[in-house]
Amino acid sequence: MSNELIFDVKDVTLRFGGVTSLNNVTLEHRRGEILAIIGPNGAGKTSLFNSLTGVYQPQEGEIMFHSDTRGSHSVIGKLPHNVARLGIARTFQASRLFNALTTFENIKIGIEARQKTGPIGAMLKLPRTRHEENLSDEKALELIEFVGLTHRLNTLADSLPYGDRRRLEIARALGTEPEVLLLDEPAAGTNPSEKVELTELIRKISREYGVSVLLIEHDMRLVMALAERLYVLNFGSVIAQGTPEEIRANDAVIEAYLGSAHHDEAKESN
Amino acid sequence: MSDDITRTKFNREDARLASTCVAGGLLLALMTGPAGTADAPLSSAKTSLFSGHVWGFLAFGIALAVVSVWRRKVRNGEWVSRRESPRRSPSVFVGNVMGAMSNAWWIVAFVVTFLVALLVADLTGPYVPNKLSFGQLFTQLQDSRTYGYIVFLWWIVNSIRLRRSRAARHGVLPAFTRSAVFRVLAGGVGGFLFALGADPWLPEKFSFSYFTFHNNSTTAFLSHLPTWLWTGCGLLLGVRAVLADRNKSTHSNRLRARQFKMSSNTRVALYGVALFAAFEAPKFLSPFWQEAIFQQIGIFCFLAIGLNIVVGFAGLLDLGYVAFYALGAYVNAYFSGALPIRPPFILNPFLSIPVAIVVAMAAGVLLGLPTLRLRGDYLAIVTLGFGEIVYVLANNLQNITGGANGSGTIGNFSLNIPGIRFTLDGQAISQDLNFYYLLLAFMIPILIIFTSLNNSKVGRSWAAIREDEVAAASLGINGLKYKVMAFAIGASTSGVAGVLASVKQGILFPSNFALQVSITVLVLVIFGGMGSITGVLIGSAVIGWLLQFLLFHSFIDYQDADKYMYIGALLILAMIFRPQGLWPATRRAREFHDAEIGLGTADAVGEPAEGPLA
Repeated sequence: MSNELIFDVKDVTLRFGGVTSLNNVTLEHRRGEILAIIGPNGAGKTSLFNSLTGVYQPQEGEIMFHSDTRGSHSVIGKLPHNVARLGIARTFQASRLFNALTTFENIKIGIEARQKTGPIGAMLKLPRTRHEENLSDEKALELIEFVGLTHRLNTLADSLPYGDRRRLEIARALGTEPEVLLLDEPAAGTNPSEKVELTELIRKISREYGVSVLLIEHDMRLVMALAERLYVLNFGSVIAQGTPEEIRANDAVIEAYLGSAHHDEAKESN
Repeated sequence: MSDDITRTKFNREDARLASTCVAGGLLLALMTGPAGTADAPLSSAKTSLFSGHVWGFLAFGIALAVVSVWRRKVRNGEWVSRRESPRRSPSVFVGNVMGAMSNAWWIVAFVVTFLVALLVADLTGPYVPNKLSFGQLFTQLQDSRTYGYIVFLWWIVNSIRLRRSRAARHGVLPAFTRSAVFRVLAGGVGGFLFALGADPWLPEKFSFSYFTFHNNSTTAFLSHLPTWLWTGCGLLLGVRAVLADRNKSTHSNRLRARQFKMSSNTRVALYGVALFAAFEAPKFLSPFWQEAIFQQIGIFCFLAIGLNIVVGFAGLLDLGYVAFYALGAYVNAYFSGALPIRPPFILNPFLSIPVAIVVAMAAGVLLGLPTLRLRGDYLAIVTLGFGEIVYVLANNLQNITGGANGSGTIGNFSLNIPGIRFTLDGQAISQDLNFYYLLLAFMIPILIIFTSLNNSKVGRSWAAIREDEVAAASLGINGLKYKVMAFAIGASTSGVAGVLASVKQGILFPSNFALQVSITVLVLVIFGGMGSITGVLIGSAVIGWLLQFLLFHSFIDYQDADKYMYIGALLILAMIFRPQGLWPATRRAREFHDAEIGLGTADAVGEPAEGPLA
C-alpha cells in the first residue's frame, strides 16, 4: 500500500516562450510519504509546484493524481480551484494569508471551501448552513490547536510573526482536507527554534492526518531530517533521486548543488 | 436527544406550538384588519371580526402551525430523522424544506403574509379610511380588540414557555435566540407590550392612523409616547444583550463574540435605535426631509446596498450598474402596459418584482460569466459599455421602450391591503408616508439577508477572493463563481430598486438611466464605506440630503445637472480626509490599514493583491 503512488508525474515539460522551465521531469510520490524537492534557485521547483496545482499548464507530459476517495485524475487542464478540490493543498513561498482576516477566519475559509452551503442557505441561515457553521467552527479550533496557534485565535493575520504565519498557512491548507500537502519553502525566514518546531509539525501532519507531504526546501538540515526520499532539480531537469543518504553521496548533486551546502554544513559543525 | 420525549402522535407541546402559531395568525389579522367607520362599524357584516382577511390570516396561522409542528417532529426524530437516513427520500426532502421554512420563519412569514394579503385585498374591497371618535374606538375595543389582546397574550406566554421547555431539554437556549434577528424581534415585541400597557391612544396603533403623518414638529415627536416606549425598549434590549453576552459560555459563542470587533450588545442596541428611528421618525418630518427621503434617499439606499455587494463585498468595479436598474424599471413598465409593446397580461408591480429580479439576475449572470474573468480596469470598461448599451437601446428602440419621449404611465402598487394603501395617482406616492413604509418593508428583509450573507461562508469567500485570488483558488474557492454570484445578487437588488423607482416616477425616460446614475451610486458606496451596509446607508442619506438641500435652497442658479459638481467635491474631500468612507466595514478598514503599511495592495476597488493568475 505504501508503494501506491499519489502523484505520478511523467515527462513534464513547461515552457514560457523560449525558456524551458521544466524539462522532462518525472516524479513519483508515494502515498503517505514525505518527499522533498531540492535544487538551486531557479531550478524549477516552484514551477513544478505550480504545475502540480494547476496554476501553470505544462505543454508536454502527464500529471496524474491518484486520490484515495475521488479516483484518478489528470491535473493538467484543470483550474487551480478544481485541483484543490481533488485533495491537493499547498502553501506559498511568500506566505499568502488573507491579511485583513483573523487567524480563525483564515482557517475557516479553508474548511468552508469544502462545504456545500450556497448563497440561499447563507442568506436565510437554513439548518444546513447553521450545522456547517458549527462544524467549521469546531474544526477550525481543532486545527488551530494542532498547529499551536490557540493564543493567536483572533489576531489579524498581518500582525502574526513569521513562524506563526507559516504555521497558519499550513493549518489553512489542512482545513481543505487534502490528501497531499505541497509545502513551498515552509522554513524560509524562520529562526532555528522555529525550524525545529516546524519539522515536528510536518512529521505530525504526516503521521496524524495521514497526509502525503511534498516539500520544497533550501534548509538541508531540515530536509535531510524530514524527507524519506528526495528529488534534485537543476535547470528544470531531475538530476538525481533517492534517500537522503544516497543524495548525500551522489556526485552529480554535490557538484550541482550540495557541494557548497556540504562545506557550509562542515563549517557549521566545526 | 429524542429519548426523553414522549413519543405521542401529537403531544401537549405540539398543541402549545400549534396554538401559538394560530394565535399569531389571528393577531396579525387583528392588527392589520380594517377598523371600520362610523357608517360601517365593525359589527356590520363587511368588516366584522371574521371578514375575509381574518380568514386569510387564520389560514396563514394554521399553515404555520402545521409547518412548525412538522418541523419539530422531524427534528426530534419522531417522524423522520434526518441524520438516520442521509439519502434523500421524498419525505426527508419535504421535512427539510419544512424545517428550512420554519427556521427562516421570519422570511416565510413575511412573504406569506404578503401573498395572503394580496388575496385578501381582492376579497375585502375598497379601502375604508379610519376616522373614528374615541367613543367609537372604545366600542371597537370591546368589539374586537379585546380578543386581539387575549390572543396576543396567549401568543407571548406560549412563546416564552416553548422556549423554556426547549432550553430545558438542550441545556442552552436554541441558537436562533442568540441571533441579532431574534433579539431585535424580541425587542420589538417588548416595545409593543410597552405600548400596550402605557399608551392611552393605543387602539390607534392597530389602525391605519398609525401609519400617517402626525405633525411636523420636533416637540410633537418628543411628546409622542411611542418615542419613549421605543427608547425604553431599545434600552431594555441593550441590557438584555449585555446580560446575555456575560452569560455566554459555549465554545462557538465565545468565538463568534470575538470574531467581530463590535460587541454584539452594542450592535443590538444600535439595531434597536435604528429600527425605532426608521419606524417613528418619518411621521414627524418636515416637508424638506419627507421629500429628501421619498425622492432621494429611499431609492439610493436600495441601489447602494446592491452595488455594495458587488463593489464592497466582492471587490469588483461595476460601472454599468444602472443597466440592471433600467431592466427592473422597464420590466415593470412592460407589465403595467406602459410600453408600446403590449404584455400578455397586466401585472401589479408587486408581482412584477419577482419577474424583475429574475430578469436582472439573468442579465447579471449573462454579463458576468464572460466579463468577470477580466480584472479591475477591464471589467470596469466592459460594464460601462453594458450600461451604455442598455441606455442607448432604451433611447433608440422607439417601438419597444417609447424612446426619448418616455413610456406611458406606469401602474401603481394598486393594493388595498389594510394598513398599506396607495392611490392610483403616481404623483401622490412620492409624498405618501405609506410609500416609505413600503420601502421599509422591502428594505428590512434585504438588510437582514445581506448581513447574514456577509457573515457567512459566502462573505468570507468574497473577502478571500478580494484579498488574494490565487490563495483562495488554492483552497478550492471558485473565484468566477463567487464573482458571478455577487454580480447577480447586486443586479437583482438593482432590479427591485428599478421597479420601486419606476412606480415612484410614474413615467420612465431613458435619461433616468444614464451613466451618471451608476457613478452616483458608486459614490454612495465609496463615500459611505465600501463593504459596510451601515456605511452605504449613511452615505446614501448624506448625499441624498445634499441633493435635496441643493434643490431646496436653489442658490447660485442651481440646475439639476450641477449636482454632480457638488457630489464630486464631496467625494474629493472624502478621499482626502477619510478614504475608507464614513463608516467603513471592519474588514475593509483593516485592508486599508494593511495597504498603508505596505502589506497587500487593497486599492480603492480591491484589485486582487498580486495581479493576474499565472
